[in-house]
Amino acid sequence: MPKRAALAGIGLRAQHHTEILSRLPPVGWFEAHSENYFAASGTHRAQLLQIRRQYPIGLHGVGLSLGSTDPLNREHLLALRRLVRIVEPVFVSEHLSWGSIDGTYLNDLLPLPYTEEALGHMSARVREVQDFLGRQVLIENISSYLRYRCAEVPEWEFLSALVHESGCGLLLDVNNVFVNAMNHGFDAHTFLHGIPASAVQEIHLAGHTVMQLDGRDIRIDTHSTHVSPEVWRLYAAALSRFGALPTLIEWDAELPELSVLEAEAERATSILESSRAAAA
Amino acid sequence: MPPLRELQQRFASRLLQTDPASVLDWICSDGISALARVEIYRNNLHAGFSKTLELEFPVIRRLVGPDYFRQLTLAFLARHPSRSGDLHHVGAPFPGFLQQQLANTEYSYLADVARFEWAYQECLVAEDAECLNPQTLRDIPMDAYPNLRFTIRPACRLVDSPFPILRIWQANQSDAEVPDLIDLTTGPDHLVLMRTPAGFNLSRVPAGDFQLLTAFAAGQTLERALEAALGRDAQFDFGAALRRCIGLGVLGYTTFN
Repeated sequence: MPKRAALAGIGLRAQHHTEILSRLPPVGWFEAHSENYFAASGTHRAQLLQIRRQYPIGLHGVGLSLGSTDPLNREHLLALRRLVRIVEPVFVSEHLSWGSIDGTYLNDLLPLPYTEEALGHMSARVREVQDFLGRQVLIENISSYLRYRCAEVPEWEFLSALVHESGCGLLLDVNNVFVNAMNHGFDAHTFLHGIPASAVQEIHLAGHTVMQLDGRDIRIDTHSTHVSPEVWRLYAAALSRFGALPTLIEWDAELPELSVLEAEAERATSILESSRAAAA
Repeated sequence: MPPLRELQQRFASRLLQTDPASVLDWICSDGISALARVEIYRNNLHAGFSKTLELEFPVIRRLVGPDYFRQLTLAFLARHPSRSGDLHHVGAPFPGFLQQQLANTEYSYLADVARFEWAYQECLVAEDAECLNPQTLRDIPMDAYPNLRFTIRPACRLVDSPFPILRIWQANQSDAEVPDLIDLTTGPDHLVLMRTPAGFNLSRVPAGDFQLLTAFAAGQTLERALEAALGRDAQFDFGAALRRCIGLGVLGYTTFN
């Protein structure tokens, strides 16, 4: 998607397929979880292809387990490549995370230790996937609830080095930056200024919740609610650094009516427009 | 510094509780203990796994109640952790797991209901394929009939049970009225599930038809399939059964040689 047409989109969920096709809501694009459409056929897959005729689609993976020290899952990669060829997505993205070991999958986005070893491994894996798909992949920063003692660099330095060594782009999840800044005690703006501006091609926004552990607040990336006011402010700051970028509203748990997501996307659109006006 | 692989192995062991070796010493305990931090991920794993099974087996959940269902899913996770980055596969061994858990109990019918629910899930994502055009049968020479092989369309599943599982399933749909008690002795059920562009077709078929279709699905010749059907029902009428199967749109293409 060209940067000049940067629009706000919505995460595509099967519960909304029928309504999207009947009403064609005025949103810029949709992003599908790749794994939800791996099946060779079926109703959801057919609906995705119908939606594809009306809107740009991004493919966002959650199960490739890029950071795992297991070999890359060939079957998963083949399914992804088949889907990419059919959908011709505007973006293909995955996460800076791991989720499987010794063939067992935890089906979660688990944090990597930000070490030299992990960087070398992750860079090689991203290159392997990009070579296999024949296109650049965007890597997204995740929310995390722990840090490893062995970490050598902060997350933003690790991401920057990953961009440098693998040639990947970045999918900046502004909510995850905020969640991690609060959970791990750093300044979210330091993160934004610590990653290479030219690499960032897409932005994610989502809601999170706050829980108490050992008498302290910890923020959990639940994708179950509205984008928080602090994250909207950080989003505006991100746009002033990175320019108006395609932005996506993610909502997974306790999925509301499509209109609620449209309203969130509208809000992102108005911030995108302000950012364009300020830059003009 | 722990090697990345060892760190991942210990982390996973901690989440699945398969190994006492702990990852906790490698995690910062600033303000919140390493234990509490790792528990967040363990809870995520449990919640995600239970949620996936809940969506795939809504009738089982409704029948056993949410609390026991969650217990079952966690016991299942311990036995059958996910082997794929695509969560859509995790439910496949669940009916077999229930069968083991509930064998020789009054709840053994639940395993059959679970098989039905998984068959439904499989139909949802199966490939579309043309249905058999009966005209093509006219071109087949009579002497080729014994070696004829019929296929079942990909979006079709066969499920049978000594219990009335179709009524149980229908009575436990979210939009169903509260049913009268279902007498478990009112089976058996021989069911054909099929997804079509117009929606789902759920049909009860005679035992002989079911046997015939099961043999076709296993790739057997018409001769063998007929033997199997006659073994089930001595009065089995192939012509009538074939018309019913064509009517249901269950059959795919035929091959003979």
